[in-house]
Amino acid sequence: MFSFQTIVENFPVLLGSARYTLLISVLGCIEGLILGAVICAAALSNKRWMRRIAALYVSFFRGVPLLIQLLAAYYLLPVIGINVPALAAAVLTVGLCAAAYLSEVLRGSLNAIPQGQAEAAAAIGMAPRDVWIRILLPQALKIGLPAIVNELILLVKASSLVTVVGIVEITRMSQSIAAATYRPLEIYLAAAFIYLVINLVIAQAGRMLERRLTV
Amino acid sequence: MTEIIQRYGPDLLTGFGYTILSWALGTLLGLVLGFMIEIARRFGPAFLRYPIRAYVEFVRGTPFLVQLFVLYYGGPLIGLRLDALPAGILGLTIYGSAYFTEILRAGFDAVPVGQVEAARAIGFRNTTIITRIMVPVMMVSALPALVNFAIILTKETVILSMITVPEIMFQTQTMMSETFAFVAPILILALFFWGFVELISRFGRRLERRFTHYLLDRS
Amino acid sequence: MTSQTAASAHLRNVNKFYGPFQALKDVSLDIPPGKVTCLIGPSGSGKSTLLRCINVLELYDSGEVRIDDQLIGYDSPGGKVMAANRLREMRREIGMVFQQFNLWPHMTALQNVAEGLERVRGLKRPEAQARAREALAKVGLADKEDNHPSHLSGGQQQRVAIARAIAMEPRIMLFDEPTSALDPELVGEVLGVMKQLAAEGMTMVVVTHEMGFAAHVADRVVFMERGEIVATGSPRDVFNNPTDPRLASFLQGYRERNSLDF
Repeated sequence: MFSFQTIVENFPVLLGSARYTLLISVLGCIEGLILGAVICAAALSNKRWMRRIAALYVSFFRGVPLLIQLLAAYYLLPVIGINVPALAAAVLTVGLCAAAYLSEVLRGSLNAIPQGQAEAAAAIGMAPRDVWIRILLPQALKIGLPAIVNELILLVKASSLVTVVGIVEITRMSQSIAAATYRPLEIYLAAAFIYLVINLVIAQAGRMLERRLTV
Repeated sequence: MTEIIQRYGPDLLTGFGYTILSWALGTLLGLVLGFMIEIARRFGPAFLRYPIRAYVEFVRGTPFLVQLFVLYYGGPLIGLRLDALPAGILGLTIYGSAYFTEILRAGFDAVPVGQVEAARAIGFRNTTIITRIMVPVMMVSALPALVNFAIILTKETVILSMITVPEIMFQTQTMMSETFAFVAPILILALFFWGFVELISRFGRRLERRFTHYLLDRS
Repeated sequence: MTSQTAASAHLRNVNKFYGPFQALKDVSLDIPPGKVTCLIGPSGSGKSTLLRCINVLELYDSGEVRIDDQLIGYDSPGGKVMAANRLREMRREIGMVFQQFNLWPHMTALQNVAEGLERVRGLKRPEAQARAREALAKVGLADKEDNHPSHLSGGQQQRVAIARAIAMEPRIMLFDEPTSALDPELVGEVLGVMKQLAAEGMTMVVVTHEMGFAAHVADRVVFMERGEIVATGSPRDVFNNPTDPRLASFLQGYRERNSLDF
């Protein structure tokens, strides 16, 4: 029998663990955006070695599964003498991975900005760095908003993998509850439901933000 | 080092085999299921559209890992008792189908109406129109996205290790826990996937060129 | 190739609505066999809709459309919508050529023509290809059979599209503005093929803006406006003695734009 009772009893605890899911995905996304902007700038640089490094970075972090990246951070960071809490390692890794995808998003958005924008800024004597930060990035963020929101949704789902480094977010919490109650079907469906709601809310918020920005 | 290779080499090879197997089957079956879903949505009765939409939203809105847990640990409660490998492949199939069906939908939408009308005017039956006209025309626009998602699925296969499918990640973790060697195995695993993904991307680009040659090489 | 007898088509009180908009208002028209009927009129007047009701790419809402004496679109007047396989059978008799050619981009010229012979007529590939070659030769494109549509000019693409239609040995052919998407210098080659078909005694219904073609090739010209047939007659009657004021002003406008006499 499907036991709603189990879901109702354990739902508050499960929902509480969602804060780690959100924390990791949101911080990871912010880190990804900042680092992604740097990588994107490198990818568009006129120095060949910078473009090479950017390409290598993107190819590596998109080519290696996040789960492996997380294990690498968990096991390898201590080996090279860096001891960080699991949560920091998780955010760091998720952000590094997101940066690879977001740099491509930003690159695509920058390509969509008319050439004249940068030229107009340069013509009034803006420094290249200011052209980037004041003129190009804000526009790129706006154009890329749907893709960035999409990336955030991917991160919410990907954050389920940080269970392997022992952070008790939704998935890890649902594992413990499932083990304790012997009701895996109900608990995992409840966990899935929470993810679904989070993502639907993010998608809706993204659409609203988009509408406001285009007015 | 040689000792470790002798001891774990066969297991790693087996793991590699399971990785390839589950990826290939998951992608193929996911594509087939996704195609069937899209055909049902497009040509089937209207009442199917709502459940199909719910299915796609659910699969795309929840983590693959949680879907696997529901299937593998929750399945037995509703009489669906699967071993880890079939559960993993079924999971990949379901996961893939939701994404593939959306890609195919966009592809079908991009087929010019006139080309379908021309076929209808000649008297083609619907199945012929789908297989001979719509699918080949659609492939041009949908193939890059399909290949891209097939690549994403290679990386999802490592998540099967979490329900004890003995693929490469699972074997490596077993090895690490027994030998306490971490650095080399993780690096090798990372490099393996990096190479694997690169390989499939190259292959995908060649496939795209094949399908679109009639648009590209102006003779 | 046109061994079969030419068909006639008959429309009786045909109405077609798009939501509240009425595209065809109680249209009745007889298309005689073996003749060329040209439909002219301003854009949005319902010419294309009328044409597409003849092979039921658009299903008319009421009235009757017949090919010879066979009703198409419905099982009986005012009855149930015709079964798909029955409609397919009737469509084999009706060839259609589109404004945008609508060749299939992934097939060569030969494959475009042979595909229908194989899949609809059920011919074996060698025979289908032999007949397709005949059809391509007829439109003067025997040497282009291996080209994909993207490697053909607009005029050549439209001729392949005509070959695709005639290869099916239709008994009536519908042309929906066949030259409107073409550069002016390519119009002639397509009209040439159409004239040749007309000379062979094919029943042709042509929606066109080429008044020259209508004047010289049509047996009958039908002028439509706002979903209604306003005037019909021989080209001489329609172009030289337009009695209806709407037709007269349409022709006047056309002459001013093209500064041409017919």
